[in-house]
Amino acid sequence: MNLVFELPQKIRDEIELTGGESIYYAVPIDIGAGGNWSTDSFCVVTTDKLYTFIDGEKISHEINELTKATAEAGVGGGMLVVKKGGEDVLVAHYSSAHMSRYAYIARGINILISGRYEKVESPEYEKMCPHCGRVIPGTKTCPHCSGNGGFFKILGKTIRPYKKDLAWISFLMVMVAVTTLLNPEVQKRLINDVLEKNGSLRTALVFLILMFTLSVAIVLINIGKSIATAKLGSKLSADLRRDLFEKCQRLPLSFINERRPGELLNRITDDTRFVAEFTSDVFCNLFAVFFIFIWDVFYMLVLDWKLALLTFTVVPPVTFFMLYLRKTISRVFRVQNKKNDDVASDLQDVISGMRIVKSYGKEEQEAERFKVLSGQFADIQKRNERFWGMFDFVLSFCMGLGVVIVVYFGGSEVIAEKMSYGELYQFIAYTLLLFQYVGWLGRLPRELSKLKSSLERIYDVLSQEAPEEDPGKVRDINIKGEITFDHATFGYKSYQPVIEDINAVIKPGEMIGIVGASGAGKSTLINLLMRLYETDDGSILVDGVDMKDISRKSYHSQLGVVLQETFLFSGTIIDNIRFSKPDASVDEIIHAAKLANAHTFISKLPDGYNTYVGEKGHTLSGGERQRIAIARAILTDPKILILDEATASLDTESEFMIQKALDRLTSNKTTFAIAHRLSTLKNADRIMVIDDHKIAEIGTHAELLAKKGIYYSLCAAQNLS
Amino acid sequence: MAEDTLNIYEKKAAEMTATNMITREDTFAKTKGGFLSLDCKGTHYDRVRVSRLFPFSDADRYLSIREYGNGDKEIGIIEDLASMSEESQKLIREQLELYYFTPVISRIMSIKDEYGYAYFHVMTDKGECRFAINMGASAVAKLSDTRLIIQDVDENRFEIKDVDQLTKKERRMLDLFL
Repeated sequence: MNLVFELPQKIRDEIELTGGESIYYAVPIDIGAGGNWSTDSFCVVTTDKLYTFIDGEKISHEINELTKATAEAGVGGGMLVVKKGGEDVLVAHYSSAHMSRYAYIARGINILISGRYEKVESPEYEKMCPHCGRVIPGTKTCPHCSGNGGFFKILGKTIRPYKKDLAWISFLMVMVAVTTLLNPEVQKRLINDVLEKNGSLRTALVFLILMFTLSVAIVLINIGKSIATAKLGSKLSADLRRDLFEKCQRLPLSFINERRPGELLNRITDDTRFVAEFTSDVFCNLFAVFFIFIWDVFYMLVLDWKLALLTFTVVPPVTFFMLYLRKTISRVFRVQNKKNDDVASDLQDVISGMRIVKSYGKEEQEAERFKVLSGQFADIQKRNERFWGMFDFVLSFCMGLGVVIVVYFGGSEVIAEKMSYGELYQFIAYTLLLFQYVGWLGRLPRELSKLKSSLERIYDVLSQEAPEEDPGKVRDINIKGEITFDHATFGYKSYQPVIEDINAVIKPGEMIGIVGASGAGKSTLINLLMRLYETDDGSILVDGVDMKDISRKSYHSQLGVVLQETFLFSGTIIDNIRFSKPDASVDEIIHAAKLANAHTFISKLPDGYNTYVGEKGHTLSGGERQRIAIARAILTDPKILILDEATASLDTESEFMIQKALDRLTSNKTTFAIAHRLSTLKNADRIMVIDDHKIAEIGTHAELLAKKGIYYSLCAAQNLS
Repeated sequence: MAEDTLNIYEKKAAEMTATNMITREDTFAKTKGGFLSLDCKGTHYDRVRVSRLFPFSDADRYLSIREYGNGDKEIGIIEDLASMSEESQKLIREQLELYYFTPVISRIMSIKDEYGYAYFHVMTDKGECRFAINMGASAVAKLSDTRLIIQDVDENRFEIKDVDQLTKKERRMLDLFL
């Protein structure tokens, strides 16, 4: 994301840089003084000063007079606020378009305030292309502006491994073209040589057999071509899908989280499917159509150039009209689909909320609402069907019109004996071919740009650099379990730190209870410990070694995790437990299950450890799933154990039993346990209270009670309830 | 321990459920930095935040006045902005303009759709502008049969107060989203 925009000369003239001062950031302010859109306002940060130029008015602040800068979020916009002399001062008002940009600017100003001169850079992508104003579909560069060379290069790279298939398909395409064009020629001969001139039955038969062979050949070649392209398409998309999936697994979680939910899924499924569809529907005809088209035009000119030119003037307007009709039709059907979605989602709402609807006695009301929606849908459908009914006739009428013109003028030529019957017939056949392929060619640009953005999106992921571990830098360690947080700071979004400046030293084998309100940053802290993300500032050390310097494999093999939302893969219970340690013996698995208090219920299931769970499998209760997850976590005998509300969905008795088991387990492991029910933390050596993204209190149960702070009131609240 | 904490929570619960009304008695003032301060029932607040409880259905009524920081606690509610003094009204409106940026579309010059995105060129009460929406996502929310909120790819919001006020040509362009 650009943080240094090109400034207009007028503004540049007004900034007087003193020796050593330089412009660090320059970003637009898109809301002017009166709250109106503004195009010529800017916020400029130099190493010494903060300037704003709003609708021609210049304001400046010395950086060393400021104590803090914040990018505050409003609704549909935000503002940059600085603290000057203990008072908040509004610096700039901007729309959502610049929200994250200003978060970086605020961070940059704060760095300058602290006396450092590091420049902040934003890894985020621009949403709109600064050159063409189009939306960038989540890629680094604008697919439209990246130039055709880029697209063809990508296309070339994509299809290079399939040269053999391509050669075979190209050959078949040429054959299709040849046979298609030859057919009218033979038909002309039949008319001219046999029918008109009373030719012999034998010659007639020869022509008929030739026509028959050609027809069969067309069918056979087309079938061959379809099979070949379908094969190529599915091979191509399968390979792309595999590459994408592998890449996604290796990319950091932040890359996945930066994208909208489902967007990556779409890239893997929809975009690759489109590539396959394009290959089998469009690509397979591409050469054939071009080939036929060119020869078609050529033959028509040879047959009768005057009539051909006349026909060519009719074809474009008719084709244009046909394309327009098609566009309209896809438009109206899109409206219909949207209404259809509305009806479906409303229906789903009511059906899944049936208990609420019934218990409040609102059946009639809901039925009425649904009736209105359904009625609207029906109206649109009726209208569209009427339109659709006419569409085909209008289309063939248009094509017919073109043919009528050819027949009229061609007929006059035949009567004037300038043209033979057969030639006229051939000419009409070519005209029909022309209509067919001009329409097809008219749709081509659209398909090509769709392919282009699909490929761009696919290659955007594939070209991402996954952070590879440098084997020379990282090392394997045998974790003892000392964890040090050293000014650890992290946020998922640039403009919102979720944990700030965490400092603590956790002794090996210590159990730390983490408490705090929802959204305070507890789970985020855990995510950092799991190495799903890396700290933005500061570091986390394990046994005195920076976490980033420990190989992932070694670290994760010594980590056990039980999360709030237990995720079980589709598969059997034993597969799920074994996930953490694929070479675990059955004895180990049963032992882990017993420790997790899961063995009893598993053995009662008809299929025992072979019970199939997951999306389509046996439905387990929340507590049962949780226990399987606990078994999975303790199977590896981890040195660091992370329990994020691990026992929250259990009933009191199982919780008690698991707690007992966990107590024994956690004795020699560094354990981090998040819990809302404080009773589960009574064995914790120390309690860490996270409040407002920071450690508010840390100490033993008794210490914190004596402090009468947040923990004290939390305990009090739970004892009372 | 139980006794005094009981009192703390009683107090907290009472605080949580109480609704304090802000009236003409309470004075708002503009700070040097461009924000709003408030003196309410003997307490001075350096900076307060104004938020709409019903931003769509009742933009000028039920305004929640909140502390800035300190958990953004609610100081009180203004039931009707019109009942406040002229001066306060002006100041509060100014703050609302800052916190809520929703240009109202008065005229649609063009809508072009291209590969999943629709590009709008419109005139709003904040001036002429161009923006793009993602047609795959639910970018258009219907507040009523005729009132729309459109959210662009940058998450800016645009409002169309009454679709029926648009010309037939404009409505046909919009039709795709209605």
